[in-house]
Amino acid sequence: MKSLATAASAPSATPAERGVPLSAGIRKYVHRHFDLVVGAATLIAFFLAWQFARPLGIPGLSAVEPPTKVVAASWDLLSSATFWTACYKSVLRILAGFALAQIIGVPIGLMMATNRMAFHTIFPVTEILRPIPPVAWIPVAIIFWPTREMSTVFIVFLGAFWIVLLNTIGGASTIDESYRRAALSLGSNRWHLFRYIVLPATMPSIVTGMVVGMGISWEMVVAAEMIASDTGLGYLLWQSFEINAGAQVIVCMLAIGIAGFVSSALIGRVGRLLTPWQGRR
Amino acid sequence: MSRGALSFRAVRKVYDPEGKAVLALDGVDLDIAPGEFCAIVGPSGCGKTTLLNAVAGFETLTAGAIQLDGRTIATPDASAAPGEDRIVVFQNGALFPWRSVMWNITCGPVMQGRMSEREAREHGLKLLARVGLKGCEDKYPNDLSGGQKRRVEIVRALINDPAVLLLDEPFRALDALTKSVMQEYLLELLVQFPKTVFFITHDLEEALFLGDKVVVFTSRPGRIKEVVSVDIPKPRSHEVLTSPRFLELKAALSAVVHTEAMRAFEAGEKEMAR
Ligand SMILES: Nc1ncnc2c1ncn2[C@@H]1O[C@H](COP(=O)(O)OP(=O)(O)O)[C@@H](O)[C@H]1O
Ligand SMILES: [Mg+2]
Repeated sequence: MKSLATAASAPSATPAERGVPLSAGIRKYVHRHFDLVVGAATLIAFFLAWQFARPLGIPGLSAVEPPTKVVAASWDLLSSATFWTACYKSVLRILAGFALAQIIGVPIGLMMATNRMAFHTIFPVTEILRPIPPVAWIPVAIIFWPTREMSTVFIVFLGAFWIVLLNTIGGASTIDESYRRAALSLGSNRWHLFRYIVLPATMPSIVTGMVVGMGISWEMVVAAEMIASDTGLGYLLWQSFEINAGAQVIVCMLAIGIAGFVSSALIGRVGRLLTPWQGRR
Repeated sequence: MSRGALSFRAVRKVYDPEGKAVLALDGVDLDIAPGEFCAIVGPSGCGKTTLLNAVAGFETLTAGAIQLDGRTIATPDASAAPGEDRIVVFQNGALFPWRSVMWNITCGPVMQGRMSEREAREHGLKLLARVGLKGCEDKYPNDLSGGQKRRVEIVRALINDPAVLLLDEPFRALDALTKSVMQEYLLELLVQFPKTVFFITHDLEEALFLGDKVVVFTSRPGRIKEVVSVDIPKPRSHEVLTSPRFLELKAALSAVVHTEAMRAFEAGEKEMAR
């Protein structure tokens, strides 16, 4: 028994304990965690190149403030109320535009997929409007909506809306006919069919629309704030550029990136709650 | 047993009559007695599923009529209407993957208002235990194996106490061993819950093992080529597969089935060449 226990613990013993020279231990570590080591090395190389881009004369990178300055600038920015107000404003616009896109896009999509009349009525309009990039709507939005706030939310809404609509239609119109037939045999009425078949069968596509739509929402809010607003992260980013605060520009970019990443992760969470049966065998 | 008499009269079905006009079924006459297990065998594409869909109320007929206990359930005049007296176990399975096993089983009687949720649950638990699926009630269908899913789908059908149970190649995707276990489960269940069964298969051995009656279809357009009564007493176990009478019936029918399969194959080749 004792010998077995020793044998089992042997592989986890450190190289030094086993009398292996340290360099061999490092080589083994590199071999086992090859991806980690390469990734870390690339990152370190990148930050070094960025930091010393100006003395080294690296084209492109030398136009950007070095990381040490960015860190200093982020310290200043993160302790200012301006930054947090901008975050708050952008997040509110995202939430409003994104929620509207779901509330309007999902029901219209479901209706278009399940009702031929609705489909043929709405489809031509969407086909004309859909190819227009949401950003191209900004001037019209400013004229049409009474406040800049509304215009910005509208652009965010529009960005997410198309993807929500298309995903919902796609999901709801490709439901396996067997499910509908099985439900009818089992005594479903129209409401049962919608509630227990159409809605859950479309849910994975709706979740996909939410995930992609959230990404587009951030693109739209930044673009719209740059042009049509005087608050928000997009505005702050543009403003930093105008006053030549290079390090602050980078901080704003990173902040938007992080916000986009966090909101995608949150939406992913929500998606898993909405489709608990997914991701199984 | 007085429920579940099925009769088919001059049943004809043409798909897409204005376009390519696929004649799927032509002049099908057949009677299935209450409680009889009728196995349908025929080459793929001969119209077996079409006939089952007509009984289930998923497709209308082009001509002829189908009656269940004297009530017409399919004619060219009426639009197709499914009903809980004819429940299908689908060729590719149609358990709702977004709901638990228990919900799948109990949704029928609850939606029909025949049982309260609690009653249905109690009933469902008993049935699940009968098919060796105790403890699976809160799982999602996709957590189950192929054979387990089939059992759940059969239970989902039986809990509605249908007059006819319609099974469309239910064990097709299963391995040989699971398949033979499933066949015995099905026969056992039918002893406890006797039903008229309309069972499609392309496996002659399966048809003879399970069926009281085996109906062989021609290649498309599907017509009835031969009807054979399987005079091997039930309950049957897998030992009968090697009994002289079984082998005799199998020998007599396999030539017929093979001829039709060849015909279907050649017709397919011709269609491809065209
Ligand atoms: N909805 C449909 N429209 C047109 N043709 C169909 C349709 N369903 C089935 N068919 C055709 O009818 C024939 C019989 O099909 P089916 O009943 O599914 O055969 P089986 O179940 O015996 O394999 C096949 O040739 C098939 O291509
Ligand atoms: Mg079929």
